[in-house]
Amino acid sequence: MIEFLNQFFQSPVMLDALFPAILIAVITSSMSIFVLAHRLSFLTVGVSHASLAGLGLAVALSLPLLPTAAVTAIIIALLLAILPNRQGINEDAGTGMLFAGSMALGVILISSASRNEVDLFGLLFGNILTVSSFDMRWIIWGSILVLLSLSIWAKSWWSMAFDMVTAKASGIATSRLRLILHGVIALTVVMCVKLAGIVLTTGLLVLPAACAWFWGRRMFSLWTLSLSFSLLGTLGGLMWSYKYDWPSGAAIILMLCLLFILSWIASWLKEQATK
Amino acid sequence: MTTPPVISLSHIRFGSFKKPILDNLSLEVPAGHFMGIIGPNGAGKSTLLSMIAGLQSPDAGHIDLFGMCLNNKTRQKLQAEMGYLHQAQGRLPDIPMRTYDVVAMGLNSFNKPLWSRLFSSSTSEKKLITDALELVEMVEHKDSDFRRLSGGQQQRIRLARALVRRPKLLLLDEPSAALDSRHQEKLYQLLRKLCDEDNMTVLMVEHDVAAITSYVDSVACLNKHIHHHAKRGETIPDDVWRVMYGDHVNIVAHDSSCIGCAPVSTKTHTDSTPNSPQGHHHD
Repeated sequence: MIEFLNQFFQSPVMLDALFPAILIAVITSSMSIFVLAHRLSFLTVGVSHASLAGLGLAVALSLPLLPTAAVTAIIIALLLAILPNRQGINEDAGTGMLFAGSMALGVILISSASRNEVDLFGLLFGNILTVSSFDMRWIIWGSILVLLSLSIWAKSWWSMAFDMVTAKASGIATSRLRLILHGVIALTVVMCVKLAGIVLTTGLLVLPAACAWFWGRRMFSLWTLSLSFSLLGTLGGLMWSYKYDWPSGAAIILMLCLLFILSWIASWLKEQATK
Repeated sequence: MTTPPVISLSHIRFGSFKKPILDNLSLEVPAGHFMGIIGPNGAGKSTLLSMIAGLQSPDAGHIDLFGMCLNNKTRQKLQAEMGYLHQAQGRLPDIPMRTYDVVAMGLNSFNKPLWSRLFSSSTSEKKLITDALELVEMVEHKDSDFRRLSGGQQQRIRLARALVRRPKLLLLDEPSAALDSRHQEKLYQLLRKLCDEDNMTVLMVEHDVAAITSYVDSVACLNKHIHHHAKRGETIPDDVWRVMYGDHVNIVAHDSSCIGCAPVSTKTHTDSTPNSPQGHHHD
């Protein structure tokens, strides 16, 4: 075991992947509690799939991948926050429509590009082992923006999740903060795509808080627990990926699923013991 | 110089011209006044409260609170002086939360950025939260999971959340829903005390006029507009009941201290409908 850990922490590829993976784990786990509290899991599915349109545009117009995908994802997430309210469309249906439409656009744009330009497997399932220095800078600035937003609006978002009407009556600008929440989630989703890919991103934004939900009783305890589960899942997943040569994103999600099951069982056992 | 009324509504209309929810509604409520609002379903009671709370804007007329016009610029400032309890209708989410933290969310300082906590003492906030929990007799549940509380206990915690900021104006939409009769009485006693001792103004929507009549200063009969505003010792004429609830209601009078009841019992109760102003229980 110690020999394996030595090998893992001495591997240059893993060392390169470790910092961005941990940074992404920190921001996804922090946003994760708001995704669960505001019931926005489907939004993360929609936005991550819709980011394919941004990646397609980037490929077609030779633009940088992550920033273009981020801008597209944020626009789509904001549309999803505005459209259902204005046009009387159910938010689920709105997400489904924009998700399908933008994914279709992304597939067409990417299929028009030459095969060498796009790592389709990496886009769909993530590959943190091939982070360029440009991607790294982008992830760092994106993370700073997400953490700054959290430090300003976390408590208002929490209050809104608990009771939107009372939050509005308390003087919180709920419409504006809901838009910002959607935008920050979209930014987080795009950064996740590098680690877990379009298909698995939702796992990183749902599973850490889902594990914590059994144990936390306050916003900060949920936040801390979510962060701990996320870091454990990311490190464990990367180790699995290194040992068995599995795709890193899938290994991390699988580890988080395992942690969720263990957390669930432990919570059930605790409940039985106190009965 | 006279103090302006806490609430001043002038010719309010909400909804279209053809089918307004509220129409030509004018009302003034002074400081320290405890007003009950009654009316049938769909009369616009909750809409009226949500407009005063700044959640919706009227389509015509204007609202002055504390002598200041309620508009986009003043809304946030005015809302800091208000406590609002809406009808939950089972919409509370499944979020792990201590009751203490639910009450804390009612503080004006709660929504400040996280770093502001580093430079401010929370001792006074803790006292405000404990005081609010004491008012609703829920101190012993302060560490309980809000989701595990009964409907009545959750309602009391929501009331504590509305009270924790020590509002000058309290807007309550059916606060006694889910409370047993003992806690209903205690709630009305508490509100009466807050009006008398803290000069708080309370506007409360309730269906059961008999239950509130011993505690409130006046009752406003609302159905699109104020049909009648009965102060302590005044009666609500029979035709007002009939305009509001329809001809099928039978009015039963109980005693002279009851707002809305005729001093002499002249009619007999033969029918019972859920929204009719019956069920007066005073001896």
